[in-house]
Amino acid sequence: MGSLFRSEPMCLAQLFLQAGTAYECLSALGERGLVQFRDLNQNVSSFQRKFVGEVKRCEELERILVYLVQEITKADIPLPQGEVSPPAPPLKQVLEMQEQLQKLEVELREVTKNKEKLRKNLLELIEYTHMLRVTRSFVKRNVEFEPTYEEFPSLENECLLDYSCMQRLGAKLGFVSGLIQQGKADAFEKMLWRVCKGYTIVTYAELDESLEDPETGEIIKWYVFLISFWGEQIGQKVKKICDCYHCHVYPYPSTAEERKEIQEGLSTRIQDLYTVLHKTEDYLRQVLCKAAESVSSRAVQVRKMKAIYHTLNMCSFDVTNKCLIAEVWCPEADLHELRWALEEGSRESGAPMPSFLNIVPTKETPPTLIRTNRFTEGFQSIVDAYGVGSYREVNPALFTIITFPFLFAVMFGDFGHGFVMFLFALLLVLNEDHPRLTQSQEIMRMFFNGRYILLLMGLFSVYTGLIYNDCFSKSVNLFGSGWNVSAMYSPGHTVEERGRMALWNDSIVRHSRVLQLDPSVPGVFQGPYPFGIDPIWNLATNRLTFLNSFKMKMSVILGIIHMTFGVILGIFNHLHFRKKFNIYLVSVPELLFLLCIFGYLLFMIVYKWLAYSATTSREAPSILIDFINMFLFPTSQASGLYPGQEYVQRVLLAITTLSVPVLFLGKPLFLLWLHHGRGCFGVSRSGYTLVRRDSEEEVSLLGNQDIEEGNSQAEAGCREVTCEEFNFGEILMTQAIHSIEYCLGCISNTASYLRLWALSLAHAQLSDVLWAMVMHVGLRVDTTFGVLLLFLVVAVFAVLTIFILLVMEGLSAFLHAIRLHWVEFQNKFYVGAGTKFVPFSFSLLSSKFSCDDGVV
Amino acid sequence: MLFASCAPETCARRTCPPRPRPAGHPGSDMTAHSFALPVIIFTTFWGLIGIAGPWFVPKGPNRGVIITMLVATAVCCYLFWLIAILAQLNPLFGPQLKNETIWYVRFLWE
Repeated sequence: MGSLFRSEPMCLAQLFLQAGTAYECLSALGERGLVQFRDLNQNVSSFQRKFVGEVKRCEELERILVYLVQEITKADIPLPQGEVSPPAPPLKQVLEMQEQLQKLEVELREVTKNKEKLRKNLLELIEYTHMLRVTRSFVKRNVEFEPTYEEFPSLENECLLDYSCMQRLGAKLGFVSGLIQQGKADAFEKMLWRVCKGYTIVTYAELDESLEDPETGEIIKWYVFLISFWGEQIGQKVKKICDCYHCHVYPYPSTAEERKEIQEGLSTRIQDLYTVLHKTEDYLRQVLCKAAESVSSRAVQVRKMKAIYHTLNMCSFDVTNKCLIAEVWCPEADLHELRWALEEGSRESGAPMPSFLNIVPTKETPPTLIRTNRFTEGFQSIVDAYGVGSYREVNPALFTIITFPFLFAVMFGDFGHGFVMFLFALLLVLNEDHPRLTQSQEIMRMFFNGRYILLLMGLFSVYTGLIYNDCFSKSVNLFGSGWNVSAMYSPGHTVEERGRMALWNDSIVRHSRVLQLDPSVPGVFQGPYPFGIDPIWNLATNRLTFLNSFKMKMSVILGIIHMTFGVILGIFNHLHFRKKFNIYLVSVPELLFLLCIFGYLLFMIVYKWLAYSATTSREAPSILIDFINMFLFPTSQASGLYPGQEYVQRVLLAITTLSVPVLFLGKPLFLLWLHHGRGCFGVSRSGYTLVRRDSEEEVSLLGNQDIEEGNSQAEAGCREVTCEEFNFGEILMTQAIHSIEYCLGCISNTASYLRLWALSLAHAQLSDVLWAMVMHVGLRVDTTFGVLLLFLVVAVFAVLTIFILLVMEGLSAFLHAIRLHWVEFQNKFYVGAGTKFVPFSFSLLSSKFSCDDGVV
Repeated sequence: MLFASCAPETCARRTCPPRPRPAGHPGSDMTAHSFALPVIIFTTFWGLIGIAGPWFVPKGPNRGVIITMLVATAVCCYLFWLIAILAQLNPLFGPQLKNETIWYVRFLWE
């Protein structure tokens, strides 16, 4: 039997890692992902552990790599994603890698800083050029506004540009020119007016092109301004205001020659700067490209190294032997591979003494390992979401693979919807390896992980849809209906029959709105439809009466069988844990209780189906009432379902009543008797001590040998353990609670299975309504207009089908099927109190950089 | 009403030629369904899948899982089909049809 039935047997092993080989051995173990390490230094804080320094070094390297990745992505250089992940670097290479990375980081930072400085410089020069150009046009323009300069003597054109003339007036005319951001221009002008009281003249012009703001890097619009003022003090004030508004102020040339000189100088400088800047950017890009080649593999290596050091921190350091001791949980099937990995690690590091392992018998509960492939993984995760199985207990996931989609399909049963779901799942499954799907987020990821579940759900829904005869709420007539309408007409019958039964003729049919077929009339019912529900029921107005009866009975039958199966699985558990008394004292009474009451209900349902027909329909008793009467013993007993019913029911009730006290008291009394009669039994309940071999001579002698008699020694040791305190009261209480839960649960759980009926009814009705309200409207319209309308109608029908019927109903049925499994099925046998086996494996490390690994 | 003129005697629609009914025959028995035949067919079918199928599963790590799946599928599907056919074996009441439906069924299905 595949290992999906039970979790794998585990053993506890001690690894003796020599000081030089520890790193390589762990690297080999991590590549294979075989064992789970136990933390031996739990009471040591994370800052006092042995390898904290190495972990810090790894974190430093990680930080540098993150910075590199940031710079690379900022420069839009593609990062190659390597397929093969490189192994952790050997210790000799680590120092070299560290130096390389640090040098790279320093260089990058320097070059980036220089580049920024150059760019800022360039921007300033560009602004200066613009400013000179624009203010030149100011001055030219101002010549026309002669009235403003009335007080001054009229000057010739050339002299206007010579501002030294102004000095003759005794007041020094000063100029401040620069650039200001568009948003601040108005406030700036107002402030100047208020402060300088009109002794300044401000001229503005908007710059056509937007320039980049060197601080924030955004492209904004600038205004070039020119302020002319008289006097020193006003000059100071103006300068202060300019500072305040973060204007970029540039020296204003006093003469035309000066202006020309400055402009020429500026243009050459700008040219030079452009060249230098380009060269710098090229160099930076080169460096980044070279780094990009190896950065992702370096990142993987560093992460693996860090994981190895974390694990090394969990080992205890045996000073006398100069080696590290690690305790691991290892599946027994992998012991051979584990030894091989240790040998390989020792060989790689070239140590004189190889590392070896030593199996330790223990009474602690190992973690649970169930090996799954990508198909069974989804179903196992459904079971694990309820609780990871206890060590070596029966795993319900094996059966959930089929029963879960089946119960879903019973609630969802529609051929058309099931087929659409199947196609969607097929699409996901066939494109499994498509990168976009493997890296999808959130909701799509959930659908992707459940693709095999969806596939099976779709398949089973197709089958149940065929049986319910429901395809987008319409039935298909494949084999011919078993109900014959013509036979209800009088002409087809003898005179004698006509007298006995109410038959039809044309006038009756014409004048009655509805008429019911009578199966007791010969020829009307000609046999059950061979596959599924007869298609005539889809045309009938009393369809629900028939379907409800059918679906309710079906739900109860499926539920009782499912629950019985659960109890039987419990028997397997008792057999495995060698507690045979549980079978006789717990499982058998449980089965008797369940079968005597609900198995009998099942029998009554099937008997009524087989024994009663239309001719005897008047005497057919209601099963529910009969069932209730079984417990009530009414005085006036109406004729039962079958002769001898009373007697049979009494016997069944007697068996049930007898099995209840056995269930309550059987196991506690038996254990009490064992405890007193057999002496020390070693009942397994509370925690255990770890049996460990700590004799050092034995350790050095054993070396690489396996301890062959380890298992049987463990059992002998088990019996030597002093028996725990036998608490009768607690056992009795636990068993009483279990019994009450079971007995009352039987009734409520059977009723709970009626949700199979409820949800399938809801689905059928929703489907029907959608057809009647949407598609029917489109199909009834006249052809000329109808063709166009039908496009719209089909689109609306498709969208509503997908969102309401597939997504909403699908999720609802999925949830209820999960509930039925988790509660009604699993509480008959499943404990689910285990821990999951998490091996030390590099493939489990996250593929992205995560900042939430702390210091240790 | 709509079908008032479509009595079998005066029916002119080409889709419903009135069939002469011999007296004593309860009607067309072309759709008479037996019970034994479907039971035999489906029992054999699901029996092959559930009982004979496991012998042909190739040896491999997944053999147990595949065998369990085959048996569980056979049991579930067979049971579901069986419940459906048993529920219709001896109906205690018949479908209630509108008179339009009766006309339709009579002339199209029979």
